[in-house]
Amino acid sequence: MKRFILKRVASMIVTLWLLSTIVFAIVNVLPGNVARKVLGGMALEEDVVRLNARLGTDKPLITQYWVSIKRVFTLSFGDSYRSRVPVSDIIFPALGRSAKLALLAFIITVPLSIAAGIYAARRQDKPIDRVIVTTGLSTSAIPEFVTASVLLVVFAVKLKIGKAYANPPDGASLFGQLEYLMLPALAMSIAYFGYIARMTRAGVIGALHADFTRTAVMKGLSQKQVMRRHVLRNALAPTIVVISTSVGYLIGGIIGVEKVFNYHGLGQTMLTAVNSSDIPVLQGAVLLVGMVYMISTLLADLLIAYLNPRIRLENAR
Amino acid sequence: MSTAPPATIVLSERKQARREKWRLVFRRPSFIVGVAIVLMWVACALFPELIAPHNPLDYRTGKHLSPRWGHIFGTDALGRDVLSRVIAGARDVLKIAPAAAVLGVFFGVILGLMQGYLGGWVDLIGSRIVEAFLSLPVVLVGLLAITTLGRSNPVVIGVVATLFTPIVARTVRAAVLAERDLDYVTSAKLRGESKAFIMFREILPNVSGPIVVELTVRMGYAVFTVATLSFLGAGPPPPSPDWGAQVSDTYNNLIADFWWPTFFPAMAIATLVIAVSLIADSVQSVMEAS
Repeated sequence: MKRFILKRVASMIVTLWLLSTIVFAIVNVLPGNVARKVLGGMALEEDVVRLNARLGTDKPLITQYWVSIKRVFTLSFGDSYRSRVPVSDIIFPALGRSAKLALLAFIITVPLSIAAGIYAARRQDKPIDRVIVTTGLSTSAIPEFVTASVLLVVFAVKLKIGKAYANPPDGASLFGQLEYLMLPALAMSIAYFGYIARMTRAGVIGALHADFTRTAVMKGLSQKQVMRRHVLRNALAPTIVVISTSVGYLIGGIIGVEKVFNYHGLGQTMLTAVNSSDIPVLQGAVLLVGMVYMISTLLADLLIAYLNPRIRLENAR
Repeated sequence: MSTAPPATIVLSERKQARREKWRLVFRRPSFIVGVAIVLMWVACALFPELIAPHNPLDYRTGKHLSPRWGHIFGTDALGRDVLSRVIAGARDVLKIAPAAAVLGVFFGVILGLMQGYLGGWVDLIGSRIVEAFLSLPVVLVGLLAITTLGRSNPVVIGVVATLFTPIVARTVRAAVLAERDLDYVTSAKLRGESKAFIMFREILPNVSGPIVVELTVRMGYAVFTVATLSFLGAGPPPPSPDWGAQVSDTYNNLIADFWWPTFFPAMAIATLVIAVSLIADSVQSVMEAS
């Protein structure tokens, strides 16, 4: 197990380095005077020179590359071009707010979609199964911002349920915050529900047809025991993979939802950074998302290895 | 000479099976519904002038008229007919998304074939890069790349295609790995065929199933991605009446109960992505059922 973890962490570090290189390449692909871009065409030449010196953007690319790599591994992404505040002071609180939203979406979606997946799998090809599959397929195909806009119209505007502006006032109670976060979280849940439900369904159907299930039924276990000890245990591994890999997907979708509801999360922070070409903030935010994603994938792999000793042994070799 | 006839029989059997599968796909109701909706939007994209009741840029009607006769989808904040703009908006997304999906699959197939068949360091380096790309949400990198490179249709197509390439490559690589040790590959090697010939003429036709599935699935994601990017301000450049851009331009007025300029383009996106994913799902479930 220890070797398995070490191997995974090592490959994560390599991936992280590659990731920061890709981001650096994208950001620096166009040669341009960064300070000039930030300050605008009307700024004085001496101000531009001074800002470039402060930002370190007057140094050769290779030095800048080295600095940007070092920043990834020390988690200090420098200062924002715009507000001079350290990037970490901007992106970590924003990540926290996005995480709150994502967590709520998670809590709504995961139990519901797993239950729906199991329910559909046990009634394979019956009308209710078709309904769950087709609904899931359709809702997960729709971009989150579309769902979010529709929810905003129907609930916040027409029915006056929930808020169109999702930022809870300072000091709102946990329950009070719920009123604000409900609609954006619901928008993400809808996109997300079909995906997990379909994966769970496929996993359960696979396990129901497996030899070990037949053996379990033959040896006279009750249906409950067969489901719990044999079917679900095997079927949920792919579901866990989906849930963990969709953390990145969740973050991708959250940008649109945050924009619709004006929620000050990581997505909104990135959009603001894009519009004001605040590259350090953008770089930091993108890398942070990459890291969150990688860590959740790692945790998922560990969980799967824990649940299934065969994978554990195979990977240690 | 004695081994040649059975080999051709096996090959034609596989070809026959592929044809049978397509027949099954065409018969699925969800496939038919999906194709009908897509064709409707294609018609809108091709002949917007014939279908739209008004000029999508004409702003002389009243502003923010609610849906009524003459303007069944209402008019937007500038007094433009929403229905006509929704019809005209089909063009950009139907130009960009398929182009991006096809390009992404094209490069993904080449990369995947090389990784799977050549193996060794090509595979090792390729896999690492693929993994790094996969660890980022497509929308996010797309946003980053398009804002640095500038908004234009070729840039959007290129960026989305680049982001799809590793995803496709991973699928193709796995399919190639299952084929590379089969007899027909070995016999081609013994005949002294070049590596390129074996990859593209021998293996490629036999992994066409997963590639077709990947293409239809990518098509759906391409529409999804282009719409989202355009909502986030990194889509086709203005003044394109692209659906995502329409939603982005109007969603701030939702609070004032002007729901129609946002709702209808949003529904247009929803119908198109659902249609494409119905098609993709039909293809996938037939192709993957062995």
